[in-house]
Amino acid sequence: MSIQSDTIVDIQGLNKWFGALHVLKNVDLAVASGTRVVVCGPSGSGKSTLIRCINGLETYQQGTLRLAGTMLGLSARETAAARRQTGMVFQSFNLFPHLTVLSNCTLALRRVAGRSRAEAEDIAMAHLEKVRIPEKAQSYPGQLSGGQQQRVAIARALCLNPRIMLFDEPTSALDPEMIKEVLDVMVTLARDGMTMVCVTHEMGFAREVAGQVVFMDGGCILDSASSRDFFGSAGHPRSRLFLEKILKH
Amino acid sequence: MGFDLAFALSSVPTILGAVGTTLFVALVSCIGAAATGFLFEMVRRVGGIAGLLIGFVIDFIRSTPVLAWLYFLYFVLPFYGIRLGSMTVGVMGLSLYYSGYLAEVFKAGIDAIPRGQSEAARALSLSRRDAVIHVIAPQMLRNIAAPLGNYFVSILKATPYLAVLAVPEMLGQAFDIASETYRYTEPLVVAGIIFLVLALAISHGVKRLEQRLLAVGAR
Amino acid sequence: MTLIDIWLGILQGLGTTAAVTAYGLVFAIPFALVFGVAQYLTGGVARLLVTGVIEFWRSSAVIILLFVFYYALPVVGITLSAMTVSAMVLGLNAGGYASQAVRAGLQALPSGQREAGAALGLSRPAILLLIELPQALITMSPTFVNTVIQLVKATALVSLVTLTDMTFRAKEIAQVEYNPVAIYTALLLAFFVVCYPIALAGRWLERRVAAPGSRANGI
Repeated sequence: MSIQSDTIVDIQGLNKWFGALHVLKNVDLAVASGTRVVVCGPSGSGKSTLIRCINGLETYQQGTLRLAGTMLGLSARETAAARRQTGMVFQSFNLFPHLTVLSNCTLALRRVAGRSRAEAEDIAMAHLEKVRIPEKAQSYPGQLSGGQQQRVAIARALCLNPRIMLFDEPTSALDPEMIKEVLDVMVTLARDGMTMVCVTHEMGFAREVAGQVVFMDGGCILDSASSRDFFGSAGHPRSRLFLEKILKH
Repeated sequence: MGFDLAFALSSVPTILGAVGTTLFVALVSCIGAAATGFLFEMVRRVGGIAGLLIGFVIDFIRSTPVLAWLYFLYFVLPFYGIRLGSMTVGVMGLSLYYSGYLAEVFKAGIDAIPRGQSEAARALSLSRRDAVIHVIAPQMLRNIAAPLGNYFVSILKATPYLAVLAVPEMLGQAFDIASETYRYTEPLVVAGIIFLVLALAISHGVKRLEQRLLAVGAR
Repeated sequence: MTLIDIWLGILQGLGTTAAVTAYGLVFAIPFALVFGVAQYLTGGVARLLVTGVIEFWRSSAVIILLFVFYYALPVVGITLSAMTVSAMVLGLNAGGYASQAVRAGLQALPSGQREAGAALGLSRPAILLLIELPQALITMSPTFVNTVIQLVKATALVSLVTLTDMTFRAKEIAQVEYNPVAIYTALLLAFFVVCYPIALAGRWLERRVAAPGSRANGI
């Protein structure tokens, strides 16, 4: 497999400031097509900011970020075109409360991809089935549990057929009993070969699907290793300390 | 002289006939106030000097009585050679006065939409225009529906102010009868009762609408 | 007349405006407290009666109420000064609005507050006075400030029943001097100077009430 030659995200020397606050410091990261990267670290470490930079939700001040070959931030049109290669799942779901589950999924298909209503609904239903919730197609987000909403959000993001899925702490806002149903969907997605960057503290999930685990603290990538090395004996002392802390819970 | 019931009843048809004028004035003023208020809020949102200025204008309007605004427009516009009918001036006055309040309604309605909504729209590659039309505007409209209905009732209750400009709404008609017959109590009491019933009925309708909206929009 | 003369002339009415406001609050505050609490505590027929009284004062158009009471009270043998009638009508109208804030404030308290009071062996009136009302009044204080502003602005109406407030003075000056722009701008400014500081105080209060860790929020 020529995984390395097919790099979909290529980040070099990325720096970002919020005012005087230096939130990303010389971040380097490459994500090859068909691989899974899990980003972890304490809150405020910059991991969410990093993943939001990847699809251009956040801008950066220094360094380069190539998404599917496009330098982000140079031209608004090119950034928008590159963003179309991504799907994003948020911590707080961000489903549109005034639209049914089905309409949440078909909105971008119809307005962005220019599909007809019938085509869009077929595609959306296929993805709702993939996340095991087709029976809720006509429900409104407010009528669903958190876990169900997050699965719908995953289906919505999949509808535009992205080349890479970005997950920003997808299970952090969920009650414990709902985390598994969302993780199961994500594992299935990984097994199907989807390229994923996932900010999460679910180390079981990381161990199961991640090819690479990245540990961030204070805006820096302190540790970046294969999941076997990361969970094995090697690794940065800070990431070991972090692992011990969250595995205790 | 006591309360002449027969005379009071004889004034009912004339005053009742003005209900249409009252509702028309309230509706047009409400639309005018909503449009102006929306414009104010959009300028305020853009910010800069214009935004600050509009913010001050909104505060100024909210700190001054509607009666003073009606006099202002009624006497100042002709001074500059602008001659408009008294009903037009009245509607302008109510629109202007309530625009300050409706700007706040729009502000609250937009602020209540979580930031994640427009972020999700961007992440889905929706254009700015599509995001506004399909994501932001429907949620804003739902947020403002109830307060807008309440302000319609408020505007309705302010329409009798136009009697001071001799607009023939309900209070104006009552005063017309009074000045012809020199009996004030009966027509005024009749106008008061009819107006109270009207206001209660409409505010009840607004409440019903609000509950239905809440039921449909189960989040 | 210079602009200063006009401005000073209008301010001669400030005393009446202030007096009607203060006198109006004498009606508004007890009404709001008594009827707000009554609506909260009562049920069944009693609640309907209480609600009826509140709705009469709140849902009528205040300008019609003022004229009705001004002309009708003497007919039934009650002669009050224009000042008293104005203060009563404007005050009870404002009190009607404020009563809804009192009731909403009480209803918004978690039931655990009342239960905790009962568990301590306090009587129902003691729970109301010592536990519920103090908390409700704090959360509702910004709304009360708004009611005061509405009352000040509503006092412009008393110019229609011959009291020489600021609005009446403006109209008097307009009869001797054709300068509507200066006169009515000065009138608007006069109200702004009175109401805006109250509005700023209300906003300060609102921030304090909503501040994290404040008593109102710490519940």
